[in-house]
Amino acid sequence: MNAKGMFVDTSICTGCKACQVACKEWNVLEGEPSHFEKRPGYPYTVAANFSGRSYDNTQNLSATDWRHVKFIEQFNADRSEGRWLFSSDSCKHCNNAGCLNACPVQAIVRTDMGNVVIKQEVCIGCKYCIPSCPYGVISFSERTGTVHKCTLCNDRIHNGLGTACAKACPTGSITFGEVEDLRKKADARLAQLRGLGYDKANLYGYHEAGGLNVFYLFMDRPAVYGQPEQPVVPQDRLFRSSSITVVTAIAVGAAALISFRERGMKEQEKEREKEGKRE
Amino acid sequence: MMALESQSPQWEWYYIAGYFFIGGVSAGAYFIGSLLELFGEDKQRAVSRIAYYLAFPLICITPILLIGDLGRPGRFWHLFYSNGPGMPYMNHLSPLSVGTWALLIYSGMSFISFLNVLSADGKLRSPALAGFLNFVNRLPHKIYAAIGSFFGFFVAGYTGVLLNTTARPLWAATDPLVGSLFIVSAASTGAAAIALAMTWNKAAPRDANVRLELFDRVALIAELVLIALMIVIAGQFAAPLLRGFYGFLFLGGTVVLGILLPLGLNWFGRKPANAGHSMVMLTSVLVLFGGALLRISLVQAGQL
Repeated sequence: MNAKGMFVDTSICTGCKACQVACKEWNVLEGEPSHFEKRPGYPYTVAANFSGRSYDNTQNLSATDWRHVKFIEQFNADRSEGRWLFSSDSCKHCNNAGCLNACPVQAIVRTDMGNVVIKQEVCIGCKYCIPSCPYGVISFSERTGTVHKCTLCNDRIHNGLGTACAKACPTGSITFGEVEDLRKKADARLAQLRGLGYDKANLYGYHEAGGLNVFYLFMDRPAVYGQPEQPVVPQDRLFRSSSITVVTAIAVGAAALISFRERGMKEQEKEREKEGKRE
Repeated sequence: MMALESQSPQWEWYYIAGYFFIGGVSAGAYFIGSLLELFGEDKQRAVSRIAYYLAFPLICITPILLIGDLGRPGRFWHLFYSNGPGMPYMNHLSPLSVGTWALLIYSGMSFISFLNVLSADGKLRSPALAGFLNFVNRLPHKIYAAIGSFFGFFVAGYTGVLLNTTARPLWAATDPLVGSLFIVSAASTGAAAIALAMTWNKAAPRDANVRLELFDRVALIAELVLIALMIVIAGQFAAPLLRGFYGFLFLGGTVVLGILLPLGLNWFGRKPANAGHSMVMLTSVLVLFGGALLRISLVQAGQL
């Protein structure tokens, strides 16, 4: 299978948020409900609850924000020194997807192009996929009663187009294509940056969660960009966890039978008699 | 700002933690009752009977909690039947999916056991039901008690595995012990529920109560050991469970009131054999209270 994906080169991201806007427009995503509130005296809802302390206003991915440009703002107290790092984040369409593994109703599926999609007409809103994603991508919408995330523009890519965010990116930081080709491009870019002396530059997503179809070039450690350094697909622990539970179940069953055993009872009565004599 | 590595499902305590508790009490009571029916002596029939009387009505509450939690409650049947392949569906990688099926089978077995004790006690005399009851009574007891016992353990334990199989820091860090902890807690709360019901009915043979308390004591000590182990392996990630409001519920409610106090009452207070009815009821209520707070604090602290 020639999986499609995206390569996000954060070294040339300028934080313009065009990808965020393009995503919202193409996927017809409404304003994030938690960012607006009704106030007395205003006939319309008022913007509220933005971060207010960063150029990064949306702060995270949500059911209505499928793309999020992270602003990593590292400054000293008097702001005389510092740096900006930007990283456009979204669903990574993992090859070993925790959300897909966790879904009890087959609402989360992988298409023939390798992208992971939530079928809105099937999702029951149990929310179990939300904690099962090691990247915190999926979110619940009160309005629809279902969960939402990036689809890798499923409708566009199945009709010969690239993703909306990649199309809108003015610097080429986000590129869409076949993962195999994108990796070659990423390797070359990494070699170039290393050659220029950027020793901390690294590629993220070759091995994590079975390989990420949407992967990154970071200029610092992944944790600086808020990405887990060792993401664990939760179901990898399922066998061990279940086995230990089964062993406990057997032990508890045995304890129950022993507690109610006739012989144990007689011994107890003997003890009680002894105690009675002592008293 | 560092993003969270995984998001919280925002499960309400009265739905999911509530289900974990009530399902645990029902399953715990059932597996104690059915194990005694399978392997115990005739004397213990009284315990089995009460266990079956408790298990089914309690498990009837749980679908309300589970379906109420869904974003689209009307679609709950998708859990059993998938329109895609057009057949019954189970995802063996998802504890939620496997657990749903286990819950269904367990409910069926506990229903048969419930009808069985009802008719044996002569409480179902409607002629309309006679044919059906005849059929139920002809089913081999041992077989459905065995199946029910297995799925009872499953229902008691899978909820813990379900929490462990996520990327939430507290739930992932406590892996693989929450399944075991929930099984042990189901055993202690199940035994406490049986003891409470028997005392309430004044139907308790003294012998049965002593044994229940003995078993409860073993379960409570095991629970204490598992909790200590869990906190050690979780390390820094155990913080939400040890501090703040949920720390108060967990340490104060579950550990002190729900485990240490009942153990103390058993050990240093009166000997269980001499304990009056009020003492049995007090310890049972404390154990049940502790079990409820265990589920609430673990489920809610994991979502902070």
